[in-house]
Amino acid sequence: MYHNSSQRKYWIFKSEEELEQMRCKANQKFRNKTLESGKHGVTESMFLERHEEDVLFRHYERRLLDFCNAFKPAMPKSVVGTAAMYFRRFYLNNSIMEYHPRIIMLTCAYLSCKVDEFNVSSTQFVGNLLQETPAGQEMVLEQILEYELLLIQQLIFHLVVHNPYRPMEGLLIDLKTRYPVLESPESLRKSADDFLTQAAMTDAGLLFSPSQIALTAILNAASRAGLNLMSYLTECLGLKDDKEALSKMCDTMRRMKNLLKKYELPKPEEVNVYKQRLERIHAEFATSNNKRKRGYEEDGHVAKEPRLVEEEWTDEDLM
Amino acid sequence: MEQYSILGRIGEGAHGIVFKAKHIETGETVALKKVALRRLEDGIPNQALREIKALQEIEDNQHVVKLKDVFPHGTGFVLVFDFMLSDLSEVIRNSERPLTPAQVKGYMMMLLKGVAFLHHNNIMHRDLKPANLLISSSGHLKIADFGLARLFSEQGERLYSHQVATRWYRAPELLYGARKYDEGVDLWAVGCIFGELLNSSPLFPGENDIEQLCCVLRVLGTPTQDSWPEIVELPDYNKITFKENPAIPLEEIVPDAPPQAVDLLYNFLVYPSKQRCSARQALLHPYFFSSPLPAHHSELPIPQRGGRPPRQRLQAPPTEFSVNLPLQNSVVDPALLQRHACCH
Repeated sequence: MYHNSSQRKYWIFKSEEELEQMRCKANQKFRNKTLESGKHGVTESMFLERHEEDVLFRHYERRLLDFCNAFKPAMPKSVVGTAAMYFRRFYLNNSIMEYHPRIIMLTCAYLSCKVDEFNVSSTQFVGNLLQETPAGQEMVLEQILEYELLLIQQLIFHLVVHNPYRPMEGLLIDLKTRYPVLESPESLRKSADDFLTQAAMTDAGLLFSPSQIALTAILNAASRAGLNLMSYLTECLGLKDDKEALSKMCDTMRRMKNLLKKYELPKPEEVNVYKQRLERIHAEFATSNNKRKRGYEEDGHVAKEPRLVEEEWTDEDLM
Repeated sequence: MEQYSILGRIGEGAHGIVFKAKHIETGETVALKKVALRRLEDGIPNQALREIKALQEIEDNQHVVKLKDVFPHGTGFVLVFDFMLSDLSEVIRNSERPLTPAQVKGYMMMLLKGVAFLHHNNIMHRDLKPANLLISSSGHLKIADFGLARLFSEQGERLYSHQVATRWYRAPELLYGARKYDEGVDLWAVGCIFGELLNSSPLFPGENDIEQLCCVLRVLGTPTQDSWPEIVELPDYNKITFKENPAIPLEEIVPDAPPQAVDLLYNFLVYPSKQRCSARQALLHPYFFSSPLPAHHSELPIPQRGGRPPRQRLQAPPTEFSVNLPLQNSVVDPALLQRHACCH
């Protein structure tokens, strides 16, 4: 139940400003750490600014969704939604300069499959990296397994994600049974689905409950079809006599729609420029995970010789 | 990990070793379940993920073991639970006399409360058995080991594995290979545990999967399309046929049980899963409201782990100045000082 979920307790935040502050802090943390390491030739100008990070974040987020949507066997929506949410949660407290989103996004998808009981073997999973040779796939798998523990820690072991898909089904059923004024609730589905897909690429899931997102999706779909469902809120959802709750809900919906409206596709030319800088940062400072790798080696988990890795496959290979 | 001092080994679970330990700061005794990621092709084992998932999302319940903390350790992580003295299988095995009717009732009530709570939270345990029902030092029963637990949804389009539940407690639909099932598998297990409490021996002790089905069929009778319409849809129906036999009245299976207990047992041990009495409903059964009333947890036996006599001291005896001792034990009695410390 969402009500006593870790999502509600730990992963719903007050405002967009709060989220932005957390991300700035993560960015700053990486800068400080790198500057303090006393490495030769480090200058502030090498680092990515917050808005630059954000462009790359959105780029990799789309790659994650593309990967999930092309996955065979077809990945249930909830698995995709959970993976995307893990990805957002992870980069609230970590900079993409510290952990490369290319591998984190795959680790998110991998963990999400397991948590949501979408049972695919690890070989099957990396088999979806179509551009990779079998050896390349095995290499990626090794990295996923290396980062899995880090990911689950960064998620504070909170694994269950409540997605808006089920509440939306519930609302559609409710509309059909209790709100006969609306002739064909099913006709709203397509447009509401699109809203949810859009919402998954915003901070909506970190600010609002899944049922609020689902309700906004439905009401938004209705208003696009020229229908007004306000009476559904007042009559069926019992907000008639609770003016405060009603205005709060309206405010929530407005904020959410703004969030979606603000979303911008990352521009390819920007992505390319920032990506080069990101690669450079990772090539120069990618020392942070050595310790973890050694840990696995001691356990005989990684038998092969240590690789310096991430340059060997680019994310163009992924799809 | 530095926060705990290890006191000993409790046992080895499916995904790691379980230690008894003391939280240094609070002095609380806990069970630490270490999940190592070594030698695993698929990374973090599903069982560990399921356990965290199920236990982290529910509120505290008196009859469900509490996951106090999870923290990374080495190449894996550690789950922290309340320490439990024993489990129901040891209670059944080690009690010198058979459990009294009131005691059986007490255990059943706690078990049903725990199961009702889980089902209310959309969690199927899928592996209920006496060894997974832990007994606290105060005599409380708590459901543990959520390695097979999963969240269920009413939509029911996903297929589940039928290789769940320890054989003796496995519901007949699972024995017939069902891939779509519901919380009824837990209620079947509750029935088996109930029978075991009443008889002090397992109800259906099959040696293998086929024999398990024989055990069940011998008691409940060969299922027919009338008694169990859904059976024709089960994967392994038709793969095996058994000689037809009529059901044996449960009164003969649990000969010493009072009639109300038998009546309740009938409510759990039925073929169609949907017909099994829900845990919530079972708690309202007259069995729990008639004499003898369920025993209070303080009246229940608490055997020690492994049937050993209680060991009083697992830690070194406390030193003179220890934070675990009441303050007055650590300070010198003022009366003794009076002679030496008079004011000049």
